[in-house]
Amino acid sequence: MKIKEGFEVCDLFDNHVIVASGRQNINFSKVVNLNESANVMWKAVVGKEFTVQDMANALTAEYEVDDATALADAERIAAEWKEIGMVD
Amino acid sequence: MIRIFLSPWRWRRQRRDGVLSNEARQEIPNDVLLGLVRDMLKNGGTDAESGEHFAHHTATIWVKGYSMRPFLEHMRDRVVLAYPERPLQEWDAVLAEITPGHYVLHRIINIEGDNVTLMGDGNVRGTERCKLSDVCGIVTHYIRPKRTILATDKKLIRRIKRWRKWLRWRRYLLFLYRATV
Repeated sequence: MKIKEGFEVCDLFDNHVIVASGRQNINFSKVVNLNESANVMWKAVVGKEFTVQDMANALTAEYEVDDATALADAERIAAEWKEIGMVD
Repeated sequence: MIRIFLSPWRWRRQRRDGVLSNEARQEIPNDVLLGLVRDMLKNGGTDAESGEHFAHHTATIWVKGYSMRPFLEHMRDRVVLAYPERPLQEWDAVLAEITPGHYVLHRIINIEGDNVTLMGDGNVRGTERCKLSDVCGIVTHYIRPKRTILATDKKLIRRIKRWRKWLRWRRYLLFLYRATV
């Protein structure tokens, strides 16, 4: 998997919001809000090829969480990113 | 009583424009979001998909507040904003920074040289003043749940001009409008 080009994270207050800045129209009515753990995964995998395991590894490196839970969370987030078209 | 009397108009409007969505949304404060919108409108770039270069971004945002009734409805409608490259017209709805960090999406009612006077369509009194350089974006599309209207639509412009002429009756017209929302 790879995050498509043209998405960038903007920090607004305590929110990490993804906007599609690589397109002419930026749709602020459909921005994606990342929570802290999703932001950790985003930072770990942005700009390179990655697997769900890489996302889970980023979680286990940052938080005290077991591998199975991290993998389940990573799978759920990866599925959401795919569904909204941010990931190839 | 008046709501029941005006039900046919309400149903007609809902069929045409759609209804307020109950979809859960997390709202980002306007002063923060609109600052980002202003910056994005100024900047250009290259489209990641088509590779086409554009001088300025456009932005789609939700309408918040009731000051642009009856043309724009709070959290039902969205607008597309573009960087103001063309001369502004007196019926343009614009996003303007009227004081540092304070933005309004209101309609231009007067332009004199560099000075712009704005007023919300849903306001019966009260105007805002700013400079041409404070205008961050022009509304190019009105997006309702069921249809999108171009800001250059002749029928829309006629309605806007008529709405301005009827300023003295606006309070009563808005009362009737509220009963049909």
